[in-house]
Amino acid sequence: MADGNGHEPRIVAFLCRWCSYAGADLAGTSRIKYPPNIIPIRVPCSGRVDPAWVMEAFARGADGVFIGGCHPGDCHYVSGNYKARRRVTLLRKLLPQLGIDPRRLRLEWISATEGKRFAEVVTEFVEELKELGPMRAEEAAQDVR
Amino acid sequence: MPPRNPERIRAQKPRIGVFVCHCGHNIAGVVDVKRVAEQLSKYPGVVYATDYEYMCSDPGQELLKKAIREHRLNGVVVAACSPSMHEATFRRAAGEVDLNPYLVECANIREHCSWVHDPGEAATQKAITITRTMVEKVKGNMPLEPVEVSHKEKCLVVGGGIAGIQAALDVAEAGYEVILVEKSPTIGGHMAQLSETFPTLDCSQCILTPKMVEVERHPKIRLLVNSEVEEISGFIGNYRVRIRKKPSYVDPDLCNLCGECEKVCPVRVPNEFDRGLSERGAIYIPFPQAVPSTYTLDEETCLGIKPLICGKCAEVCEPGAIDFDMSEEIIEEEVGAVILATGYDLYETKALPEYSPDDPDVIDPLQFERLLSATGPTRGEIRRPSDGKVPKTVVFIKCAGSRDPELHKPYCSAICCMYTAKHALLYKHAVPDGRAIVFYIDIRAPGKGYEEFIHRVMEEDRVLYIRGKVAKVFREGDKLIVWGVDTLSGQRVEVEADLVVLAMAVVPPKGVEDLARTLRLSCLDENGFLKEAHPKLRPLETLAGGIFIAGAAQGPKDIPQAVTQGSGAAAKAIALLSAPTLTHSPEVAEVDEELCSGCRVCAPLCPYGAITVEETAQVNELLCEGCGTCVAACPSGALSLRNLEDSQVESMVEAALAELSPAREAVEVKGG
Amino acid sequence: MSAKPKIAVYWTGSCGGCDVSFLEVGEAIVEILSRVEVVFWPALVDVKRSDLEAMPPGSIDYALINGVIRTEENREMAEILREKSKYIVAYGACAHLGGVPSLADLWGKEEIFRAVFGEGFRPGPPPGVDGEARLPDLSEKAVPLEEVVRVDYAVPGCPPPAPLISRFFTALFSGEMPDPPYVFANVKALCEECPRERHDDRRIERIVRPHEIVPDPNKCLLEQGLICMGPVTRGGCNALCPVAGMPCTGCLGPTPEAGDPGAAMLSALASLVRFEDEGEEYFAREDEVLERLADPLGTFYMYAFGKFRRRS
Repeated sequence: MADGNGHEPRIVAFLCRWCSYAGADLAGTSRIKYPPNIIPIRVPCSGRVDPAWVMEAFARGADGVFIGGCHPGDCHYVSGNYKARRRVTLLRKLLPQLGIDPRRLRLEWISATEGKRFAEVVTEFVEELKELGPMRAEEAAQDVR
Repeated sequence: MPPRNPERIRAQKPRIGVFVCHCGHNIAGVVDVKRVAEQLSKYPGVVYATDYEYMCSDPGQELLKKAIREHRLNGVVVAACSPSMHEATFRRAAGEVDLNPYLVECANIREHCSWVHDPGEAATQKAITITRTMVEKVKGNMPLEPVEVSHKEKCLVVGGGIAGIQAALDVAEAGYEVILVEKSPTIGGHMAQLSETFPTLDCSQCILTPKMVEVERHPKIRLLVNSEVEEISGFIGNYRVRIRKKPSYVDPDLCNLCGECEKVCPVRVPNEFDRGLSERGAIYIPFPQAVPSTYTLDEETCLGIKPLICGKCAEVCEPGAIDFDMSEEIIEEEVGAVILATGYDLYETKALPEYSPDDPDVIDPLQFERLLSATGPTRGEIRRPSDGKVPKTVVFIKCAGSRDPELHKPYCSAICCMYTAKHALLYKHAVPDGRAIVFYIDIRAPGKGYEEFIHRVMEEDRVLYIRGKVAKVFREGDKLIVWGVDTLSGQRVEVEADLVVLAMAVVPPKGVEDLARTLRLSCLDENGFLKEAHPKLRPLETLAGGIFIAGAAQGPKDIPQAVTQGSGAAAKAIALLSAPTLTHSPEVAEVDEELCSGCRVCAPLCPYGAITVEETAQVNELLCEGCGTCVAACPSGALSLRNLEDSQVESMVEAALAELSPAREAVEVKGG
Repeated sequence: MSAKPKIAVYWTGSCGGCDVSFLEVGEAIVEILSRVEVVFWPALVDVKRSDLEAMPPGSIDYALINGVIRTEENREMAEILREKSKYIVAYGACAHLGGVPSLADLWGKEEIFRAVFGEGFRPGPPPGVDGEARLPDLSEKAVPLEEVVRVDYAVPGCPPPAPLISRFFTALFSGEMPDPPYVFANVKALCEECPRERHDDRRIERIVRPHEIVPDPNKCLLEQGLICMGPVTRGGCNALCPVAGMPCTGCLGPTPEAGDPGAAMLSALASLVRFEDEGEEYFAREDEVLERLADPLGTFYMYAFGKFRRRS
């Protein structure tokens, strides 16, 4: 059931406006194609991303959650990305306890100049999520009414 | 439970207008814009939805304004390009008809959708979803007013090359105080090292030194040489700067430039100004017209100051200008604007081992400038470093390290075509019976008078241009053998040369990463140059407000371009410094004191020191940059970020994951 | 003098601690009992389900229910009490949030049976009883009271601490009960009433468990590496555990705007885990610290898993 045949994963992406969102803009300006499975939400900084949003997205059936921040040392707000990294580290420890594969949560550093990389990373994430199959199925197998 | 922040719950029911832009073919060619508008018109809270060819055009903005008035809209979503393009445009337009600008948002269906997806259903669905998420955001947005901030009327210029000099002079002339910080003992930068400048062949120092002197004498400019910016913190209009000034051990006011000190100095080290082609003492002056006009004692090469080992210089200094007790100074300043003119370095010749970089007669272009210069180590006579002979054949290799994405730098260094032509010409003028051979890939001469200059060099001065790369340079006895290829004739070429000049790539100077970090200039570009806010429209600005860039710090530039940028950045800085007040974004964090327990999780996270905690946390809205890191960390939900509250994002997530709109089949039927 | 309020106290899936907790108020219990009429309280008086069923609807003023809803019978009793009572009070963490028993929902019903009784066990009639009687079946999930009936008030805690029990009865006797829904605990987090010192440059350089250290008596426990849920948890207990040197485990439940307490505490904790500086060179050390958190779910959702995990 969870083999993911024909499954189109749904991804919510929290992109920091200075680096990753701008990187995604550059992918657009450069017309680099990637799959349409991702819905971006612009945030000022990856440090703004509240772990509760991630939990909310999974609870609402997201197959994947993507957080894009500035490279280490490049955070427009100095160190928000470091907080994001540590929160993701702990979330990825918590998710398996809830029966959610930690690979469904992805944190990537993407700079404003890395349009190509943004497209590549999204493409790769979509492929990975297709292999993992639908979130609902995985979760249903575990628990939840 | 009583509603959170009751005064901030929107009193009115949402009446949101959605405007879907075709952007000509850019969006409409991929996304079914009519259907996006139609779907959004049915979305809760939306009372008006339409599509239009170019929302950013004047008629587009008029349409927006008319709809706001006619439909009494209290929120707007423009589904168009990235907010970095036209958010300001649409917010301004809304403001003109008294809709608070912060109730206007852009849904990015161009860069994040139509430009990256193939035409069809999936792209249209994604555009609908993106637009719905923004409608959800607007539903939670509050009308806000920008915060007014005062600012310092002072400008910091980092780097005393020609771009920094020009910027400093222009800002100072406008009547504002300038602090010009230069790492080395003199201003002038690389331009001071040049012999003559293309294409007019003006003497570089002759046109530069008057400007240097002007800097020194200008009452509004405080010049700090031997100094580096250690830290910059703060925000637009209010930056705090910490500068570390190394001691020169010579009082510039007392030094009379007699030069006796250098004569008795037992130390001989390569002179950086002459790129190692001459030697200097530990106490020295980089070049006679240096500004400030004084000798400098270089602590690193001196036999020892603390404790004093030698002290001979002080013994012979008649005016008693030498003071071994000088110590490092930390200078703290507050400035309103910063101009970064940190210039460039040359890529090291060592990176090209195939060209025998260790051979003394294989030199870089600045070394050749010094050989050409009347103030250089050979007094302008061209003599090769190994044996002082006049070289009869000189080979110039262009694109040495440039335009080589596999092994070296991918970019064009922009200035090498022109200075190499100049080098060849000046050589031919100095050694009329000599041969000058230039290996090139392409010749790029787009400046005023540049193309004509190249022709002059080729035709009048009979410089031989060979189109092709050089594979190898190696020594054979007295000669350097250059193996190359002439790609026009397909022939292998072998030249016996006396001197080889490598037109090395222009690279960012060392230390620029550290500077970028302290400034939080999000991202140097992929080559390490400072990144401008927009490559075409904001070339002099960075993403940090009030921090501007000029000259080769941003990428390779010739003198006229560097000067232009220096003046341009100065104009930007003057515009900022002359504004009566600045405005600060109101989209910052705030505390609900009814909820805050004073747990102090937030305060240590703030890089701006904007949070203080007594009984409860307090946010200084002038210092807060609105990153929201504290908000995400606040365990009790007492902190919120204006117009990006948790409840807004949760609604956006819900909209992002809601079932796709049911029009899918209808379209498929129509399409089939 | 008006009639005494009629109260019922009942336990569903409970350890019994909540029933005992009334004694926490000390001598005041005498006065409390003298000012109410106990119409149903199996732990105190001999009443049967049939007695309760015989009462007219709405005849009980306040029914205080403690325990998680774990069995069919729990649910039925909650429904009967709802019908017979004007107000339902979720008493204690299990009724309020699901409590520790709701962590069992990490596994399915079958798995729980297997783990406790071994292979092959099937619930059936107790020995010596005729074939008609049967034990109530376990529900699929262990859920807080609010998932089966409308709940008006909560007196939180595991078990509810004396000050909050007093707060409830004081309101009741003064005739100034707040409008439901209402939780008898503070809106602000525990830190507000915690006397331990918190520093502006606070950071967490290690994570330890309570048996591993003797904590400094004055310093914030989080700063010493103990995972204290205080910042995310309602106050009202006078920081009972932190004052005694034990980290708060969150039994009063999250503050009203904290949302998902696990996510909130996870974020706060991860934000504070750092060394003198931050940067790529510290990533490995930071991860080492975070790795020491043995059971994030059990730590962050010890009492609230039932309520917050089930949102969707």
